[in-house]
Amino acid sequence: MSAPAEPIGDAAWRARRRARRLREGLVQGLAALLLLALAIVVAHNVGANLAARQIKSGFDFLSGPAGFNIGETLFEFAARDTYLRAFAVGMTNTLRVALAGIVLASLLGVVVGLMRLSHHPLLAALGAAYVELFRNVPLLIQLLAIYLLITELLPEASGALSVEGVALLSKEGLQIAVPEEGRRALGYALGAFAVAAAVGLLAARHWLNVGAGLIALAAGAAAAAATWLLAGAAMGWSRPVLDGFLISGGAALTPEFLALWLGLALFTSASIAELVRAGVLAVPAGQWHAALALGMTRGQAMAGVIFPQALRLAIPPLASQYMNLIKNSSLAVVIGYPDLVSIANTSINQNGQALEVIVIIMAVYLSLNLVVAVVMNAVNARVTRAPR
Amino acid sequence: MRMNHLLPVAIAAAAAAFALPAHAGKTLDAVKSRGQVVCGVNTSGPGFSNADSQGRWTGLDVDFCKAVAAAVLSDANKVKFVPLNSQQRFSSLQAGEIDVLSRNSTWTLTRDASLGVVFTGINYFDGQGFMVPKKLKIDSAKKMNGATVCVQAGTTSEKNVADYFGANGMKYKSVVFDTAEAITSAFFAGRCQVYTTDMSDLAGARTKAPNADDYVILPQVISKEPLGPSVRRGDDEWFEIVRWTLFAMLEAEEHGLTQANVDEQKTSNKDPNVQRFLGISEDTGKLLGLDAAWAYRIVKQVGNYGESFERNLGPKTPVALPRGVNNLWTKGGLMYAPPIR
Repeated sequence: MSAPAEPIGDAAWRARRRARRLREGLVQGLAALLLLALAIVVAHNVGANLAARQIKSGFDFLSGPAGFNIGETLFEFAARDTYLRAFAVGMTNTLRVALAGIVLASLLGVVVGLMRLSHHPLLAALGAAYVELFRNVPLLIQLLAIYLLITELLPEASGALSVEGVALLSKEGLQIAVPEEGRRALGYALGAFAVAAAVGLLAARHWLNVGAGLIALAAGAAAAAATWLLAGAAMGWSRPVLDGFLISGGAALTPEFLALWLGLALFTSASIAELVRAGVLAVPAGQWHAALALGMTRGQAMAGVIFPQALRLAIPPLASQYMNLIKNSSLAVVIGYPDLVSIANTSINQNGQALEVIVIIMAVYLSLNLVVAVVMNAVNARVTRAPR
Repeated sequence: MRMNHLLPVAIAAAAAAFALPAHAGKTLDAVKSRGQVVCGVNTSGPGFSNADSQGRWTGLDVDFCKAVAAAVLSDANKVKFVPLNSQQRFSSLQAGEIDVLSRNSTWTLTRDASLGVVFTGINYFDGQGFMVPKKLKIDSAKKMNGATVCVQAGTTSEKNVADYFGANGMKYKSVVFDTAEAITSAFFAGRCQVYTTDMSDLAGARTKAPNADDYVILPQVISKEPLGPSVRRGDDEWFEIVRWTLFAMLEAEEHGLTQANVDEQKTSNKDPNVQRFLGISEDTGKLLGLDAAWAYRIVKQVGNYGESFERNLGPKTPVALPRGVNNLWTKGGLMYAPPIR
């Protein structure tokens, strides 16, 4: 854009700048070299010591058979499959519970945050109680408590609470009826969601000034649900039925998944609620006054004026809450949910290669959180671009 | 919780990263100057290692630690017990946090050859079995198709159960917990139809049930689980001491030496084997870096293997395991010690 720039500053200034840049470059290069050297020394020493102690090392084990079974998997896994596949199962299980947790925690967080701001004393008090309860009790204790409630209070499979042909709730978890080919139906539903949300967004943008995103989401969800039901009607339903002492058919959410999901969502939602509240309170009061003066109701003002501005303030800390949730999911092991750390623990003990497995765990969590950071930064960039 | 688990691993990693290239550790010197044997035991294994409300440890594995202390430090009580779960145990030993691992651990080739630890012997011959609630009316392990199975993370059980169900063409869902306590509470709450681990552990767990009679241990034994103590690789002197401590307990039983009669036998029994064993006619301890009375002290302060078994696992205990294959070779069992001479 700009024409070749005139060199800025006078000659002496430019000379000083060159010298400064050289100095800084040298120092940084030296520091980088030192770090690299340290890393090489450590790696070399680790290798030598492991060899001296006759501890096997290396990543060869990943292609060998795992030999153990995994309780819940998103794709086929048998004991003869490789360690690599076992880690993939663990990672998808972590992702599954983290994503579900993030969605539920965000919804609950927004609702509770707005409750706390409500002028209705009962609502506000309930919101405050919720936040204090779930934020101040350690997550580990919450998980154990929820898991205990599920395993102790729910009936055994033979006496499951049931909505005939649709759902069964028992110590085996929650079983729900799904279309015969659940995976394909899920694909259709996701497709329908994407299409309906896109069309909805365009249409809503055309007709409305505010709330287009929400309307698009609602349209997508409705289309997905309709597609799911249609798929079920076309393919027939796989219904959960009691078979001997076990339940077969349908799709299952295990007690371990339910407990971890709820625990993570409740714990994180309390913090998210506070972020929402802080964001809303940080919007200058003049914005309220202006919106009300234009004849908006309080609800309209919140949805169209205040909340979008609050969101901008809340997004950066929200990203760290999401990351915390992902990392906290590693507590899964105490309630027997086969997440990445649980699989890794088992692997360490089957093959003894603790160092390698720990490196894998760290790499996976680092990558997951970097992805969250990138996504949230993009969202942040988008919402802050709008003029204030 | 997670910190706890990862700590030994982290220490092992740090030790591996920064330690000078390893030399054969002088564990014996360290133990003597510390005045304490640090012994890794099970967090909760009735009959093997269990702490009572006052923090006193009892059990077959605990007795073994005491025997090592009696031999090395002349006092069976100079033991620090470090309770470890199944995932921490070998890392702790590798990292040098404990001197001996006496935690009903199965001796396998992988563990012996690739973990930097070495097994010193077998103090209990076990096998993996299944426990189920009586009301399910399952009388054979072959009728468990489709069952939900509770199993502890990082155990040989986890692999054996996969092998067994696979070999018999049955499917199962596993729920994996990291401590025995978590498993028993989930199992007794009804989360799983089946709890699988070593037979001796099942017997111990059954004593913790709200009503032990509601549960039955199936007859099938699906694996060999030779349980024994292990030490770090690279210190042969310490390895020998730990190995021969177990042999001394077995040898004492073979000679009929007990805690009660050993003082009297010391003078009255003229059997050269007994005289040698008790360090009267010969000093066998010197070869191990110990004194002549090392074996005498083991018997006097802890007792022979049979006594330890009766006290911790025998019919008068809640666990009530039969002696079975763990009897001496002279009585039809597998327990056999090389001669102490």
